[in-house]
Amino acid sequence: GEGRGSVRSSSELIAYKNVNDIPQSRELMIQIDQKNEVILLPIYGSMVPFHIATVKSVTSQQDSNRTGYIRIIFNVPGTPFSPQDANSMKFQGSIYLKEVSFRSKNPRHVSEVVQQIKSLRRQVNSRESEKAERAT
Amino acid sequence: MADGHLFNNILLGGRGGTLRVHSGGIIWKKQGGGKVVEVDKADIVGVSWMKVPRAFQLGFRIKDGLFYKFTGFREQDVSSLNAFLQNSVGITPEEKQLSVSGQNWGEVDLDGNMLTFLVGSKQAFEVSLADVSQTQLQGKNEVVLEFHVDDTTGANEKDSLMELSFHIPNSNTLFVGDETRS
Repeated sequence: GEGRGSVRSSSELIAYKNVNDIPQSRELMIQIDQKNEVILLPIYGSMVPFHIATVKSVTSQQDSNRTGYIRIIFNVPGTPFSPQDANSMKFQGSIYLKEVSFRSKNPRHVSEVVQQIKSLRRQVNSRESEKAERAT
Repeated sequence: MADGHLFNNILLGGRGGTLRVHSGGIIWKKQGGGKVVEVDKADIVGVSWMKVPRAFQLGFRIKDGLFYKFTGFREQDVSSLNAFLQNSVGITPEEKQLSVSGQNWGEVDLDGNMLTFLVGSKQAFEVSLADVSQTQLQGKNEVVLEFHVDDTTGANEKDSLMELSFHIPNSNTLFVGDETRS
């Protein structure tokens, strides 16, 4: 596994290098870009990328009207094991996006999104801890 | 009304239509009829361009806090529209850059009704405070913004934003108190 050139360390946290690298989407809905390890959130008519390493957890809910709700919590300083903590001195003046919630007309889409985010997080986390282990 | 520039396939909130930019303002008409957005030049507070994936986006900030983002312009449209907006409408659009780095930490800029989240001085996203129904302070370091659930901007969103919150560390010096800001 040494030859994997595309593996980035979590400290870099670069979702995309160029604007045109963002995958085209016809619909304004939450999407997961597995290849680049990014979640894309529709905020005010734009798809906004967040690197999966910024995501702490994701939860979902469904009400009786078959409306789905999805809540994404991001890593912020002071949270144990958050990847930015090593860097938090560098970004001392920063403000963090901590949480976003969306309402969805499609409960199936909500559960798909939650599953995809969770599995992508697991994937990235196990790779990162494997790397950290190898480094010690 | 024959003056100005007409653009086809211009998206507003995910819906396609035509946009006419004329000396008196702008008119966007949804494809196949229905929704019409008409803005008088006197109500335009600011205009901005931004490069978005595979297109350019033209943003109009309106007096009452509304913000229309039209997407689908080509690169050559930018220069021709800039010349027209400057000469015939008397507005010089500003250039904004989009952050695509995927970070969740940056700066918050408040300008009138717009709240912009900037990463490395590029815009990650912006929201209109006119759509905020409630704000809450949670603990000492978290500010929660709740949004109206109806889509007043006409956005055709499958998933719509309900709530977002910012974590403001104690080390932040910008938002120690609003009174000190000019």
